[in-house]
Amino acid sequence: MARGLDASMRARRLVALLPLLRRGDRVALSDLATAVGCTAEEVAADLTTLTMCGVPPFTPFDLVDLYIDGAHVTVHADPPGLDQPLKLTAPEARALAAALEMAGYAPNAPLRAKLAAVTTAAASAEELERTIRTGTAPGGAAETYAALAAAAEAHEKLRIAYRTGSTGRVSERVVHPWAIVQRLGVWYLVAMCEAAGQERVFRMDRIRAFERTGDLFETPSEVPTAVVPDPGGLDVAEILFAPGTRLPDDRAWPGVRIEVLPDGSARAWMPYRATAWVARRVIAHLGEATVIGPGEVRRAVRELAETTLQQVQ
Amino acid sequence: MPDAAERLVNLALLLSSTRKHVTAEQCRAAGLGYPAGQDGVSFLRMFERDKDALRAAGLVIEVALDPGTGTEAYRLDAEATYARPVDLTAEELSALRAVAAAFADDAAFPFREDLMLALGKLGAAGHQGPVATTAAAGSDVAQRMPEVQALAEAVRLRKSVTFDYANARGGQRRRSVDPYGLFLREGRWYLAGLDTGIAEVRTFAIDRLNDLDVNPRRPRTPDFERPQGFDIRQQERLPFQYGPTVTPARIRFEPGSAWRAASLSRGHGRIDELPDGSRMWTVDFSDLEVLASWLLAEGPGLHAVDPPELIATLAVRLKEVIAAHG
Repeated sequence: MARGLDASMRARRLVALLPLLRRGDRVALSDLATAVGCTAEEVAADLTTLTMCGVPPFTPFDLVDLYIDGAHVTVHADPPGLDQPLKLTAPEARALAAALEMAGYAPNAPLRAKLAAVTTAAASAEELERTIRTGTAPGGAAETYAALAAAAEAHEKLRIAYRTGSTGRVSERVVHPWAIVQRLGVWYLVAMCEAAGQERVFRMDRIRAFERTGDLFETPSEVPTAVVPDPGGLDVAEILFAPGTRLPDDRAWPGVRIEVLPDGSARAWMPYRATAWVARRVIAHLGEATVIGPGEVRRAVRELAETTLQQVQ
Repeated sequence: MPDAAERLVNLALLLSSTRKHVTAEQCRAAGLGYPAGQDGVSFLRMFERDKDALRAAGLVIEVALDPGTGTEAYRLDAEATYARPVDLTAEELSALRAVAAAFADDAAFPFREDLMLALGKLGAAGHQGPVATTAAAGSDVAQRMPEVQALAEAVRLRKSVTFDYANARGGQRRRSVDPYGLFLREGRWYLAGLDTGIAEVRTFAIDRLNDLDVNPRRPRTPDFERPQGFDIRQQERLPFQYGPTVTPARIRFEPGSAWRAASLSRGHGRIDELPDGSRMWTVDFSDLEVLASWLLAEGPGLHAVDPPELIATLAVRLKEVIAAHG
């Protein structure tokens, strides 16, 4: 049963199913479930409910007429009403706008214009644009997002130009796009990097250019979706923060562990893969963070501060 | 007795298939599933709720006066209700399915149910996409989603709200706010609205507000008008733009980093292209130290040009870093 949904939410899903039921069709329950976004069991329960619905005088010819056998449903007659998809309601349009904007689709993206055309007149796209904002960047990364999603679905290799965050270097590589992962509003591509010969996580907003190659790859049975490095096996930098400093949280320094000392200073342990990555975060604390060790991170901080100072002067 | 969802579908089917408008009484007598023996007042209340539920699903109900009884009669407005087929490209469908998969199980996305219903209408709700989402936002963020949802509705319907709000120093007081808009930054939701106690537009972090009440009176009548020029994009500031004073700064993006200017500026300030391919970004700041820190964190490839205090601050602080790591 559709537990957890109240009657009106359930009725909305029932109404969404009706236009998908065409006389003479034999449809897999799993396909219907995919279309309306629930499980095959929920669809089976919904269809059973629908067979009891109809229009007056509720003779057998006035009811939704279908037959479920196993994993399929056979439709004997078109539904007695509501046989076309409904326009999107204002809250539905808001949900889509919020989600698409998070994926880089700016309000003026062609896809959003197409969706506005199937939205109820009561919802104004302009009002949504002025009252809800979820995007991280104007102009958006929609093209990158759409291309990565399509390539991941088609198991197609991509050639990308990627800017490494800590060094600013741009490198070209061929990757197998496994999954797109969102964390705290930032999108990542989890992919097999052919040059590195192993899995890598790329921030989508640092993918400078991309090109579909036409070559296919095999997706492993288990795709990892962790975008924060597993601290196990990584080196750890120990960092001292001066009293009164605004301490970094897990958003800015993923995996950090912090202990505040009685004098108000704080000690932090930060797992890292590349020294340049820690060094950039440390110098951004403007001298209020000092690396205690290891030596390679201290050196990296000093060198980065020296190079940056030369550029500043 | 049929369950409520069944009754709602029956009513929807009747309204969509009838040629003549039907009155509440006709609906009651039609055997849709209204309880037998229900008194007239309870029935009318239930009927109103049912119509609201159908409207929430997207049915536009046309109202006419029944010539016989002079009471209201109803029928589906097919033109306003049904969507014309939408022509989506293969990439657009992939992107929609990816978005669906990313947010379907993301407890930190406040509009999950509406999103799934919307994608269901577009036939693109598929769960089997290649995309996953991490729940790394943590349960504290996810717990706030009912508030975000309630505030989004209050913004849409222009209903006033009250809540307790903790400021950064730990003080707490009850605020009355006309909610104008919401924005999301780095996984955290913010409300912008008129704090009616001080008659100023303020920004509130939603994870710091408690005991939210939306004015329950006259739910269909707006409580306030949003100022005409209001635009949420102007409320969302960059981290260094919070403070009492406003000073312009100029930041240069090297040619190799020029492409980053558009996304890092998030629509603030002005970006000019220079002959050598670099970009000059003129942007207001309020907090010099935060701007200096931001520049270092976002580097390399960005350079402070103006004002001189910014360059001086960067130089002094970098020398401190070098001394501490000598």
